[in-house]
Amino acid sequence: MSLQPASTEIAARTAAVISTMKDLEGPLLPILHGVQEEFGYVPQEALLVIADALNLSRAEVHGVATFYHDYRKQPAGRHVLKLCQAEACQSMGSDAIAAKVKQALGIGFHETARDNSVTLEPVYCLGLCACAPSAMLDGQVIGRLDDEAIDEIVAEVRR
Amino acid sequence: MNIKADFPTLIQETDYGTPESTAEKQVTLTVDGRSVTVPEGTSIMRAAMEGGVEIPKLCATDMLDSFGSCRICLVEIEGRNGTPASCTTPVGEGMIVHTQTDRLDAIRRGVMELYVSDHPTGWNEKAGTGASEFDAVAKSVGLAENRYGVEGRNHVHEDGVAPGHGSLAVDYIARDESNPYFSYDPAQCIVCSRCVRACEEVQGTFALTIEGRGFESRMVAGMHEDFITSECVSCGACVQACPTDALREKTVLEKGMPERSAVTTCAYCGVGCSFKAEVKDDEVIRMMPYKDGKANHGHSCVKGRFAYGYATHKDRILSPMIREKITDPWREVSWEEAIAYTANEFRRIQYQYGRAAVGGITSSRCTNEETYLVQKLVRQGFLNNNVDTCARVCHSPTGYGLGQTYGTSAGTQDFDSVEFTDVAVIIGANPASAHPVFASRLKKRLRQGAKLIVLDPRRTEMVKSAHVEAAYHLPLKPGTNVAVLTSLAHVIVTEGLFDEAFIRERCDWAEFQDWASFVAMPENSPEAVSKLTGVDPELVRGAARLYAKGGNGAIYYGLGVTEHSQGSTTVMAIANLAMATGNIGRPGVGVNPLRGQNNVQGSCDMGSFPHELPGYRHISGEAVRDIYESLWGVKLDDEPGLRIPNMLDAAVDGSFKGIYIQGEDILQSDPDTKHVASGLAAMECVVVHDLFLNETANYAHVFLPGSTFLEKDGTFTNAERRINMVRKVVEPKARYADWEATQELARAIGLDWNYTHPSQIMDEIAKTTPSFAGVSFDLLDRVGSVQWPCNEKAPLGTPIMHVDGFVRGKGKFIRTEYVATDERTGPRYPLLLTTGRILSQYNVGAQTRRTENSMWHSEDRLEIHPHDAENRGIRDGDWVRLASRSGETTLRALITDRVSPGVVYTTFHHPDTQANVITTDFSDWATNCPEYKVTAVQVAPSNGPTEWQKDYNEQARQSRRIKSHLEAAE
Amino acid sequence: MSPTIYMTIYIPGDSGALALGAEKVAKATAKELAERGIAAKIVRNGSRGAYFLEPMVEVETTEGRRAYGPVKAADVKGLFDAGFLTGGQHRLALGDPEDIPFIAKQTRLTFARCGITDPVSLEDYEAHGGLDGLRKAVAMAPLDIVKQVTESGLRGRGGAGFPTGIKWKTVLDTTADRKYIVCNADEGDSATFADRMIMEGDPFVLIEGMTIAGIATGATKGFVYIRSEYPHAVATMNKAVEVARKAGVLGATVLGSPNAFDIEIRVGAGAYVCGEETSLLNSLEGKRGVVRAKPPLPAIQGLFGKPTVINNVISLASVPIIMDKGAVFYKDFGMGRSRGTIPIQIAGNVKHGGLFEIAFGLSLGEIVDEIGGGTRSGRPVKAVQVGGPLGAYFPRELFDTPFDYEEFAKRDGLIGHAGITVFDDTADMLKQARFAMEFCAIESCGKCTPCRIGSTRGMEVIDRLAAGIEPEKSLALVTDLCNTMKFGSLCALGGFTPYPVMSAITHFPEDFKPAPARVAAE
Repeated sequence: MSLQPASTEIAARTAAVISTMKDLEGPLLPILHGVQEEFGYVPQEALLVIADALNLSRAEVHGVATFYHDYRKQPAGRHVLKLCQAEACQSMGSDAIAAKVKQALGIGFHETARDNSVTLEPVYCLGLCACAPSAMLDGQVIGRLDDEAIDEIVAEVRR
Repeated sequence: MNIKADFPTLIQETDYGTPESTAEKQVTLTVDGRSVTVPEGTSIMRAAMEGGVEIPKLCATDMLDSFGSCRICLVEIEGRNGTPASCTTPVGEGMIVHTQTDRLDAIRRGVMELYVSDHPTGWNEKAGTGASEFDAVAKSVGLAENRYGVEGRNHVHEDGVAPGHGSLAVDYIARDESNPYFSYDPAQCIVCSRCVRACEEVQGTFALTIEGRGFESRMVAGMHEDFITSECVSCGACVQACPTDALREKTVLEKGMPERSAVTTCAYCGVGCSFKAEVKDDEVIRMMPYKDGKANHGHSCVKGRFAYGYATHKDRILSPMIREKITDPWREVSWEEAIAYTANEFRRIQYQYGRAAVGGITSSRCTNEETYLVQKLVRQGFLNNNVDTCARVCHSPTGYGLGQTYGTSAGTQDFDSVEFTDVAVIIGANPASAHPVFASRLKKRLRQGAKLIVLDPRRTEMVKSAHVEAAYHLPLKPGTNVAVLTSLAHVIVTEGLFDEAFIRERCDWAEFQDWASFVAMPENSPEAVSKLTGVDPELVRGAARLYAKGGNGAIYYGLGVTEHSQGSTTVMAIANLAMATGNIGRPGVGVNPLRGQNNVQGSCDMGSFPHELPGYRHISGEAVRDIYESLWGVKLDDEPGLRIPNMLDAAVDGSFKGIYIQGEDILQSDPDTKHVASGLAAMECVVVHDLFLNETANYAHVFLPGSTFLEKDGTFTNAERRINMVRKVVEPKARYADWEATQELARAIGLDWNYTHPSQIMDEIAKTTPSFAGVSFDLLDRVGSVQWPCNEKAPLGTPIMHVDGFVRGKGKFIRTEYVATDERTGPRYPLLLTTGRILSQYNVGAQTRRTENSMWHSEDRLEIHPHDAENRGIRDGDWVRLASRSGETTLRALITDRVSPGVVYTTFHHPDTQANVITTDFSDWATNCPEYKVTAVQVAPSNGPTEWQKDYNEQARQSRRIKSHLEAAE
Repeated sequence: MSPTIYMTIYIPGDSGALALGAEKVAKATAKELAERGIAAKIVRNGSRGAYFLEPMVEVETTEGRRAYGPVKAADVKGLFDAGFLTGGQHRLALGDPEDIPFIAKQTRLTFARCGITDPVSLEDYEAHGGLDGLRKAVAMAPLDIVKQVTESGLRGRGGAGFPTGIKWKTVLDTTADRKYIVCNADEGDSATFADRMIMEGDPFVLIEGMTIAGIATGATKGFVYIRSEYPHAVATMNKAVEVARKAGVLGATVLGSPNAFDIEIRVGAGAYVCGEETSLLNSLEGKRGVVRAKPPLPAIQGLFGKPTVINNVISLASVPIIMDKGAVFYKDFGMGRSRGTIPIQIAGNVKHGGLFEIAFGLSLGEIVDEIGGGTRSGRPVKAVQVGGPLGAYFPRELFDTPFDYEEFAKRDGLIGHAGITVFDDTADMLKQARFAMEFCAIESCGKCTPCRIGSTRGMEVIDRLAAGIEPEKSLALVTDLCNTMKFGSLCALGGFTPYPVMSAITHFPEDFKPAPARVAAE
């Protein structure tokens, strides 16, 4: 009853990712990161290839991939905007910031704009708590968010 | 004496919560004022239970390592902060533990209230049985209300789910009814992970996981698949582990909780698992693995656990039947008429054709007592030795090979021994499919770090599957076992890896030297034989070094060793390897045949061979014959009788005319089906004693309805020589248990048999057989099971043999010259066919095909390498014609690289396929065990079944007509 | 002496400074240098932690370093015009950075180099006393190293405050074929950024500390598990490890000694709970990051079942100075059983937000009002949350509490990773209590019941409370639930979530009055 991974492009690219990391101690998370980097998300088919390569059951790989919120089941938008919603940012009005951003982008948290321009996500602390409220746009950190900064971000993702 | 099974109530096993500690050091503590002394490393939970204090628990069970997730079992320890979980906290000397305080009560109630807030019971909805552990704990902690109400987020209802925050919004999951035997209701799941852990720790399949995290955490199979399509092998461990009704047997949900139970032994493979057969209203509701079962320790597989439905299948024949000619329809008759008819016929045939014209075949499916009676009937009643058993076709070389080298025709270890194994060698066996409960134990040991070597033409699950990876896989060409094993010995000898001290002490040194000089010859080197065997010499060298020097080395083998023309030689080669490396006579080592059927060992022990009386004593021995002659009051024939193939030959020749076949389907299970058919067709009275109108019954004149293992008392002996009790849990549906039917037949031919209970038969066996001298039903009732030899020297049996020396004295090294089988590939038949078993099916499938197990395997398929398939234009799923020198059949192809190029593989579970039409009449030189595992074949695309298959099916249909049914139908 | 030799400009590459525009400042500076034809080196240093002054640009002058901040890209041209390269006057001039009160008042032991050196320059590191501790350690017996760490009184800075030396001793005493040092850099608590600052600003001190730990316990492999929310820390650590390997600080012969030690950087995948040591180990092994029950202790059966030291970044980064200056030197700082210094992180609605390293014992009020300078919004301080999302909310009435593990515990609070979030009087404490439950629900690993179900029920009951539904009953239920979670949970996530919830209820009861009453009161 083994679902053998089909030899497709996804399988081949996944295998290439695995080959660079297979000898790490406890390689599953680095491989999943690598696969996400490769595809922008973690395709179900890649999990089959990983399970086979690491001698794990597909149940195990599924359990791990669904535990960590970083691993996406679907590709994100062209931009990913993460707004910090943790306490330090709350104390500086992150709620209001989030409301404004949601309105400006027309999407809520965990949603991707219809034009695929941006995915909006909450994040719980970026370690920028002394420059709250903060955000991260495509890996770039932004502190002391204010209306002006929001406008810039919105313009950036719409570009 | 009559120890009729009397089991008014359900057996409730104590769950100590955590596994037993094996530490020697003892620790004394106080639990609720009681002093308890337990081994160091024991959990507080277990210590409390042993002291009679039951701490409520949900995620803990003694089948699994402690986990600490449910937080019900919290306790207070004087001098320590907080409320540690009793399952994960080990005992300490002088510890003072309180298990019941107001604070603990409040926490437990608080936790249960949380559970209930996300469970159908919180909605006052009836779900499940109302008799689960969960229900019991909810009561015991005194939970009165669910203050959280039912408006919140939950996994119970599809509608009205509050939106998830921050992660996967997978709250409600629909019930999964895809598995035929159990259902999964996620609404009742409490995420204790017992099922997931059971699948991992006990079964070793890792088919289940927890998906997501936090409130979204939910158990799922595979990658959130239906159970049936997931990696689940339906062993039932998860269902057994589930403390709620989330995973529950469908029979229990449909028919209610069982009311009474008895401990009995599974009637499938040679592992011999103990089960509690649980019954309600004279119907088996479920089979629960029994924790005290010494072969399985509370585990099971899909067959033993669930596939008992054949016992009540509509195909079962419940009335005796006779017919003059096999072309006639069957006529249902009374037992009296059937027995009288049979006795008359046998008397007539013996009068007409001579004493040797009749014989009997015992069954390795029936009990020891029943087997004993059949051979007794033949010897005492027919006055010849024409008795044989189906073990002939599977493990007769084991008996011969181990008998020659070690002096005992049986495996050397108990299954527990595997827990001490460092290097396991599997030869010609696939325990994951054929001996699943043993495979689970082996896999557990592998996960603990033991290494594995596999000799198999196929890349089986034991070569590579989740958490299993063989250190060495030697993918040898079918038929080259001896060459490979001798080349392993070559490496061990030439590289000086043998255990000289052991050999000098335990074996005949001169014989060793002779053997060593033989294996050391250059033509036996891995390099030299690799052309024949197809195995990379470096793999052979690596495997030899690992086995010889890797610690405790244990060899497990199966029919891939025995069912060859050199089967006995292979067994001896294995025995040589173990002796040469000193891997005999202690836990963790040994030579262990994995017996195919439940009572292969027992049927061999019980004198089912034409040359041997019970206990492997040759018929030519006067002293042995004396024992039976004086007891039975007859003169025994001192010449060996006919083996099964000889009986068939004699039948074709016209000198053998009548046969009594108990619980065996030789037409399907013996090689060269056409030859068997013509032998049977030539007989005048074929008596088939079975549950179903099997393939052999197509040629029968008398059909005696058999009884299932649920309908009788007796014993089975498993692959580790363990004598296990079989207990009657329901009345025989066809009036007689098999031993009673045999006794009726014996009386009808004039024997004075008066057994009133199988225990009396065992008493007779014990009285006449030294290795069974200490065995009695009384003893088995008291201690559960024993491994023979069980006698004055070993009153509680013998788990490990040859501890202080070999049974035969000095271990005997025997040269094992490789002789290629006559069955060779050539231009017409370029491929080698080998056969095996699949997990969900059993042997010829007579039982498992009559259960829902067919959902996993509804037909036999031909596994073929992509390369060979490509050459022949065969696509996956195509019908193909499989032809050998003996015959041909058709089946569908399965393209896989599990088999090497040049090798094809199939199972033999379905009569439609008739794989044995293909197999040849070559057999083991010593024992006639047929060479099932090697047949030269050709494979070609086909449109469908062959003419032979069509003819056969028509003949089978004709021969299964039953007159009364016909009349009713017409 | 050519003046160009002094032309070094420090522009922090710390992500806090980047978040405030340091990258743009650096680009503008480079552009300006090119246009003006000035040969000067730009060093991307870490942050000194005074985030209210970031991006703080420093220049090396003949009189020492001179700081300017907070600098915006638009200010750069003006700075050049003002001759800032030689310490010229400008409205952003801060003078000698060491004299800035926020910095001058600190006792910088662990963070001695952070913000001063080039983070990935080993020469710079050594020039500022780096590797002195390790040099001493390679010449010592493992047991003596462990003794010194034990005697220093160093306690785990990750939150639990367990004595570091005792942990090391257990690992040293456990025989195994392989042992590990695991650095917990999964700094997920809101208001904490000390780990990030060290990793971005002085990564070698962490590498040195881990290597000493390896030598002390017989471990040969170290892992740094960094949360994925810290990409800059990951990049800097990876670079520093590579540099250390090349220089022979890591590898088969640490500093030419017979000790082998290597480090691998691993990245988390979005799970706060992996800051809990046992779930971090599971995550490193490639498993679901669920919490393991203890015992067995990680020191005996940790990563891959082997004896493992698992310490927080700051604990390990404090080791080199202890080895260099001695146990007594370190122990002399602090109060009670809380010895040495603690990097307090002042965050949220605060005027002078940043990292402030000082000996234990300062009162909460001093930290918030004097060092932090009150709220950024200028409104009164209503509450401070100490110790991250699992820490209690302290009202003004408890501002006399000294910063000390035991003193905080006495007031039903915890120091945790020493992060402080300041809230002004617009904060709604019911909302904060609800968030505590919500955060627990989002981040719960799902293993134990009180946390898995309790956190979700907690949110729901507080919502009912907010809606004025059966307020007394709901309040009683929250209290019972907190009791179940506190005593019933498997780890600190579920076990400490009741702290913010109950402290909010206890200290700010007016915020939990039924909604209509609250509206009426306003």
